[in-house]
Amino acid sequence: MANHHTSSNRLWILGLIPLAFAAYFFLQLEGVASGQFLQFSIPWVPDLNVNFSIYIDGLSLLMSLLVLGIGGLILIYASGYMAGNAKIGRFFFILIFFMIAMLGVVVSDNIFLLFIFWELTSISSFLLIGFSHESEKSQKSAQQALIVTGLGGLALMAGLIMLGYIGGSWELSELLAQGQFLDGHPAFPAVITLIFLGAFTKSAQFPFHFWLPNAMAAPTPVSAYLHSATMVKAGVYLLARLYPIFGGSDTWFFTLVIIGGITGMLGGWLAWQQKDLKRIMAYTTISALGILVFLLGVGQKIGTEAAVLFLFVHSLYKGALFMIAGSVDHETGTRDVTILGGLRGKMPLTMVAVTLATLSMAGVPPLVGFVGKEVIYEATVENVDYRVWLTAVAFVMNFFNVAAAAAILYMPFIRSQPADTQLELDHTHEAPWTMWIGPLSLGILATLSFFFVGSELFSGQLIQGATEAVYGKPAEIKLYALPPALTIVPILSIFTIVGGIIFFAVQGRLIKAARAADAAVSRFGPESGYFAGFDGLLAGAASITLFVQNGKLRRYVLYVVVSFILFVGLPLFLNFGALSWRLSPPPLLYELIVSAVIILATLMVTFARSRLAAVAALGVVGYGIAILFLYFNAPDLAMTQFSVETFTVILFVLVLYRLPAFKAITSPAGRLRDVIIAVLAGGFMAMLVLLVTAVPQSQHVIDYYAQSSYPLAKGQNVVNVILVDFRGFDTLVEISVLGVAAVGVYALIRRGVIRGLSRGERGES
Amino acid sequence: MEFQAPAINIAIILPVVIVAGFGLVLMILDMLMEDELRGLGPWISLGGLVLAGLQTIALWLGGSYETFIPVGGHPMVVVDGYAHFFNMLFIITGILAILMSMPYLIKADIDEKAEYYMLLMFSISGMMLMGMANDLLLIFIGLELLSIPLYVMCGIARPREASEESAMKYFLLGAFASGFLVFGLALLYGATGSTALPVVVENFTAGGVIAYTGLAMQLVGLAFKVGAVPFHMWTPDVYEGAPTAVTAFMSVGAKVGGFAAMIRILAEAVPQESAPIWTTAIAIIAAATLILGNVVAISQTNIKRMLAYSSIAHGGYILMAVAALPFSGDAVSASLTYMLTYMFTNLGAFAVIMMVEKSGNRGVLLEDYKGLSKRNLGMALILAYFMFSLIGMPLTGGFIGKFVVFQAAIDANLIWLTIIGVVTAAVSAYYYLRVVFYMFMFDGQGDLEFSPAMMTATTVALVATLAIGFFPGLWLNLARTASLASQLLMAGG
Repeated sequence: MANHHTSSNRLWILGLIPLAFAAYFFLQLEGVASGQFLQFSIPWVPDLNVNFSIYIDGLSLLMSLLVLGIGGLILIYASGYMAGNAKIGRFFFILIFFMIAMLGVVVSDNIFLLFIFWELTSISSFLLIGFSHESEKSQKSAQQALIVTGLGGLALMAGLIMLGYIGGSWELSELLAQGQFLDGHPAFPAVITLIFLGAFTKSAQFPFHFWLPNAMAAPTPVSAYLHSATMVKAGVYLLARLYPIFGGSDTWFFTLVIIGGITGMLGGWLAWQQKDLKRIMAYTTISALGILVFLLGVGQKIGTEAAVLFLFVHSLYKGALFMIAGSVDHETGTRDVTILGGLRGKMPLTMVAVTLATLSMAGVPPLVGFVGKEVIYEATVENVDYRVWLTAVAFVMNFFNVAAAAAILYMPFIRSQPADTQLELDHTHEAPWTMWIGPLSLGILATLSFFFVGSELFSGQLIQGATEAVYGKPAEIKLYALPPALTIVPILSIFTIVGGIIFFAVQGRLIKAARAADAAVSRFGPESGYFAGFDGLLAGAASITLFVQNGKLRRYVLYVVVSFILFVGLPLFLNFGALSWRLSPPPLLYELIVSAVIILATLMVTFARSRLAAVAALGVVGYGIAILFLYFNAPDLAMTQFSVETFTVILFVLVLYRLPAFKAITSPAGRLRDVIIAVLAGGFMAMLVLLVTAVPQSQHVIDYYAQSSYPLAKGQNVVNVILVDFRGFDTLVEISVLGVAAVGVYALIRRGVIRGLSRGERGES
Repeated sequence: MEFQAPAINIAIILPVVIVAGFGLVLMILDMLMEDELRGLGPWISLGGLVLAGLQTIALWLGGSYETFIPVGGHPMVVVDGYAHFFNMLFIITGILAILMSMPYLIKADIDEKAEYYMLLMFSISGMMLMGMANDLLLIFIGLELLSIPLYVMCGIARPREASEESAMKYFLLGAFASGFLVFGLALLYGATGSTALPVVVENFTAGGVIAYTGLAMQLVGLAFKVGAVPFHMWTPDVYEGAPTAVTAFMSVGAKVGGFAAMIRILAEAVPQESAPIWTTAIAIIAAATLILGNVVAISQTNIKRMLAYSSIAHGGYILMAVAALPFSGDAVSASLTYMLTYMFTNLGAFAVIMMVEKSGNRGVLLEDYKGLSKRNLGMALILAYFMFSLIGMPLTGGFIGKFVVFQAAIDANLIWLTIIGVVTAAVSAYYYLRVVFYMFMFDGQGDLEFSPAMMTATTVALVATLAIGFFPGLWLNLARTASLASQLLMAGG
């Protein structure tokens, strides 16, 4: 594992492109901050009001800078990390594809466009998590991430469409300009729930957080980029984007503060117990996402400011840390912190980067992370109603982050390698330049913040521009690299750092108990719920299939008849009273006798033990009906019926010759069920017939032909006149149809003869 | 009495006459020709379909709707934008099906060349009648003309047992369904005194319970053809057993044909005041269809069976638009758009499936799709795109179809049904993506069998699905004009 960065690929050049774009965006900063937003729109599907419209305000600009800037560094990093991998081209392709999609998410103005890009990021995430698909684990994780975020995306889509319907526009900028137009609307709870679902799944909020640690199966550049710096922030971005519409409502405040708080604390709690460097970072990422949601929930000027600033700060240090985790893995072959150690001398440049990044993460002055932490505490302290609660939650979240930062810095780097491990680290050396340049630049950027945090460019344009976009109102922002006065806030910061370090020092003694407790609880956790729901769906699908689709024709017929009775018969039966009945003239004796014969014959069909008997009984039924026709003065119909009946019976007998005997294939209970259903269906049909005979028939046509046949066509036989005179054309066409049918029959016979011949010839030869 | 030649407007039924006529020609040629020449069958049918398509386009561009017998009475055939739209749909389905059948029949060792294409042409002419019919009798005749050749086509791979079984099941259950349709027709006739749709609608209310029962039985018969739950049971068995080319053809043609007639009946033969009753029934059927189709598809391991359930589910989405019919001006055009996208996507997916399939009905399991991306990346991407379109992902035709259908349902205030639609679409993502998952995440072996005809069909379907996905405006307009024409007709009685 240690030395495979031999191939000198130049893919890192690709990384310069997004960096150039980032520089371009950076130059737009001043204009955007002064309110000249970048936007353009081209109609795409005017009928559906879908436009390809872009809208870049302060928030979009900040996000774009992160997507492009970190993206550039990641591409450079990946050219080293993936060197020698046969599929590196494909990897870069998907990564750049993702970058474009992610950029699309943060600059889209049109709801549909946003949704398209949103789902494209989920798909590229799926492809990247499953990139090394040799392992079953990465397949499962990829699938899980796609299902969770994809379903959330659909909910989001539904929520946004409702929002657009109510607001009368599909453009976010136009909706935002209307402010809190949804307040008090009956659809408010539905819309906000759907949007929350979309944002929470994407940003790994409790209870949907479980997909993110599993997504660490992806190659490390992906974890650094998608699952820390950018894609998982899309949910946070969306919440921030919609703050002007929903912000300030009680639903917003309590949902976000509670969910964000739980996520932030849970992520922190789980982070320090992990052994895998990447999983530690995954859980601290969940924690950070929780903090961001929490801050958006707190809201107001200071809450949104803190969210925007922390979003920026977190992307810098977490992107760097993931890259470092990858470098460690790349050079040593493991990410297990319990066996790593002593890398400080072997990887000196990485050591510098990790020190800067973890200090920023822990919020140590004068790094930018400290400023971020200060503003978080300011936001909680400024809240009048829930000051103590909010501050306590923020403290717990930050406190775990310090402990995790200490673990990341201390265990693989500062301490010497534990003596009792098998891991051989003697030949470990620094990673190639492509792999340390990214984390080091981010680390240095975090340090230099001391000089630029207070500047007009940073606080006055970048952060203020983004905060104003979220807050929806002008907000004057002044940031300080070091606290100007000793208030409660810096004191809290100090307590956080000290507490975190102390906790880290003693955590070795707690770890076993903590893991046991987690294992006990996680059986009832959301991930178990996901699996249970998933398995349940699969099992349910399988059992339904078995029940309704067993391949047996008689079962299908049964379903059809039962549904027919339910859908058609039952409603009719319920309207029974409204029906008019007529049974006149009263039946004659002959008719009754013939009917009785028909009924008996029908019963015989069902009880027959042999096929021949059944066919004979069917024949009796047919003849009985023909006799009835005779009674009703329809000799032509009766003749037809007689001949058809005879012919059918003969055909039947010929075919039956080749069929096996009846077998008893149903149970007595099944038969009883069949009898009931048959009686119901038959009764229903009989009822229908009675109903129809009650309707007076139209005499119009009959009278016309009867009266006109002699005067118009000089014919006494009305049927003949109709056939050759009134509908002569029809008769002509009918004859040609018969002719065509004859041709068809001839063709069939001829083909049959030919085939028989050729088969015979083949048989002889 | 002097001879009165009826004034017949032959030109407007020319498309269906051409298609049926070419079927007849094939039948006669089949009898007269030597074996070698019988290979011309598909080309002759293609020629016929292209001619019929050109005539349809000429008529369509000609504008106003016309009837078979221009004066007096109630014409049996109405050729309006709606009919043109469906005629084009069936002609394209036929062309693609023939292109796919040519290589497939050889691969599957089915030696019934001219006979097969003759049956196909007859079936298409039946479908076309379904869209043009203005009379319940003609709808019934169209349905039979559509179905009977299909029964035979399902069994054409004899002596393969699965094929014979599928033909037998389809035939028996189909005949059963036709019985419902005829009984319903008789009841409607009894209740309203006519089988002409414009008269039925006038007298429907007076017909009372009998008219409703007749309508219900007609709907049962049609629900059968479109594979709506609970009359769907034949679908998976028949789709799986039939030769794949036939499956592809009927999964689109028979279903769309059934809907063409169903929408026509519900839009023109049923008065507005009965709408609350029948829309409730259709909405319940739609919900059941969506849920069952999408959930059961999950547990399938055979891709043909999976697509059978998927096609049931897609019928459910179209039924959503049908349920919205009286309450949303966009419902007809939504259903037309949906069927258009469904046709291209489903046929395209089947084309790729036929390339993966091996002779003897092997190579149709999901397992066989493992590692397709390594064997042929292009085909894997194309199939993935069709799967995305079947889910209804943005930038595919399927998205546009789902979108307009959901919009129509919301318009009609069928919120609960829309929610079921969205949720089941999410469920459907699972089984469609599983195919993608198998193609890209595993390793596997086996070659694909290419042929120019199959590639042409795939390309056409792909380009059309892409075009609808990226530039839906044109197609939506097309569907809207087609549905407007029929609404004009409704207004004109």
